[in-house]
Amino acid sequence: MSQQIVVYGASWCPDCHRSRTFLDEHHISYDWIDIDEDPAAADKVAQINHGNKTIPTIIFPDDSILVEPSDKALSEKLVTLNIMQPDNKQSAVVTHDVIMVGAGPAALTAAIYTTREDIDTLLFEKGVIGGLAAVTDLIDNYPGFTNGVHGLELADSLRGQAERFGAVIELGEVMSIKDEGKMKRLETTSGDMLARAVLIATGSDYKKTGVPGEAEYYARGVHYCATCDGAFYRDKKLAVIGGGNSAVQESIFLTRFASHIDLLVRSTLKASEVLRSELKQYVAAGKITVHEGVKPKEIVGDDNGVNKIITTDANDKEVVYDIDGVFVFIGLLPNTGFLKSSGIELDAVGLIKTDQNLETNIKGVFAAGDVRSGATMQIASAAGEGATAALKIREYLEGKL
Amino acid sequence: MVKNITIFTTNTCAYCQMVKTYLRAKGVGYDEVNLDENPHRRIEAHSLSGALTVPVTVVTKTDDSQEIIVGYNLSKLVPAIS
Ligand SMILES: Cc1cc2nc3c(=O)[nH]c(=O)nc-3n(C[C@H](O)[C@H](O)[C@H](O)COP(=O)(O)OP(=O)(O)OC[C@H]3O[C@@H](n4cnc5c(N)ncnc54)[C@H](O)[C@@H]3O)c2cc1C
Repeated sequence: MSQQIVVYGASWCPDCHRSRTFLDEHHISYDWIDIDEDPAAADKVAQINHGNKTIPTIIFPDDSILVEPSDKALSEKLVTLNIMQPDNKQSAVVTHDVIMVGAGPAALTAAIYTTREDIDTLLFEKGVIGGLAAVTDLIDNYPGFTNGVHGLELADSLRGQAERFGAVIELGEVMSIKDEGKMKRLETTSGDMLARAVLIATGSDYKKTGVPGEAEYYARGVHYCATCDGAFYRDKKLAVIGGGNSAVQESIFLTRFASHIDLLVRSTLKASEVLRSELKQYVAAGKITVHEGVKPKEIVGDDNGVNKIITTDANDKEVVYDIDGVFVFIGLLPNTGFLKSSGIELDAVGLIKTDQNLETNIKGVFAAGDVRSGATMQIASAAGEGATAALKIREYLEGKL
Repeated sequence: MVKNITIFTTNTCAYCQMVKTYLRAKGVGYDEVNLDENPHRRIEAHSLSGALTVPVTVVTKTDDSQEIIVGYNLSKLVPAIS
């Protein structure tokens, strides 16, 4: 077996990067063929994969092939072929300088800083790259954009900027973090990984009301993402539950589709002055009606979806709204469930406690953005915390923190 | 084996972008139906998925059977296209 291992891939492909890093870290030589630059190689990959150009496709000296292998599968193969020692188990787990959990504004900003300083950085994202910012229609208060910026556009730019310096975003989830002293072990959907430092920037998820009908009609009349599902309610009537900034902002967004919106507020409107004065125009135009002191009781529908929401008003009287759909924006729950057995300290609401260096009670594990106790839940501050965390991580890696 | 893939999307939907990003990264081709540009096809997306949401990804196999994935859900998308 004098022949080399051949890796077919492309420069933009994160899994290719991962496999190459694995081989590099184990000092295993291979030929790299970029299929974007070699049409014959692209054809070969397509032939191997029944017409799909699935990469990385790796051909081994014995002519066996692995397509998109996990690092575990790759290491097993290398052991079988006697290219790698089986007792190399510890180092067979991929190691990175930093692993960031989440790829929202906080982690993407942190990744711009770390990768720009050549700190090898891997991000895990289980949902949308760009986090909650990506699912927000228009962001009016992020600095640098005179007329605001669309969430998707901001997310795309942040991601492009981080990738330009070499950040790699893996589409997958981190399930747990374990402190092993100098190394942190992360259990992920791509197998176990080791990191010298970890940044937790997992933000939060939408809270549910918990009323009957909410789960049953999920995505069939009950929604949590206006930019995703609003278009299905052209000329329809909607209820929006909530009274904070998100509820008001999203109600305004939904008026571009819906004929009318009942904004159901549990106590009183808590949205900012700016949003409230904007809301007034829509109220005056008859597009939005605000109902304060209203508690949702049940979401009712049939096979065609939702048709009403039953509520109780301030006097405990039942009030029914005939609507075609409900959007829920009643706040957020921190994404820290996966940290249960990690020993990382959380506050009473489940946000991560940090010191002034944004470091948690575990050395080498940092937190930034919405998931951090004391965060101000804004994109600009999430980005700022990401930058701070990255600089502190560098100090930590250099043994200066 | 996959014959073709159609994704119903809208302009503002971030999860639609993720399905496209994922398929592109895997070198898998797809057709896109943008419901902002083709609002009359909303009914089609609804009747295929039973849901009022995008993305709806329709994976048609070579035997013409169809798998329909609602939302950006890698645990369903990955097996459907492999
Ligand atoms: C409707 C709405 C409107 C908003 N409007 C504005 C606005 O106009 N201006 C403003 O400044 N802010 C706004 N915000 C707040 C802003 O979106 C957040 O402050 C910001 O996105 C926080 O960034 P982050 O990086 O901390 O977290 P997030 O953006 O929440 O990103 C965290 C990411 O981590 C991922 N993740 C979580 N757990 C895991 C795991 N175990 N493994 C892998 N990945 C994981 C999530 O999928 C998510 O993508 C708005 C929020 C909402 C909900």
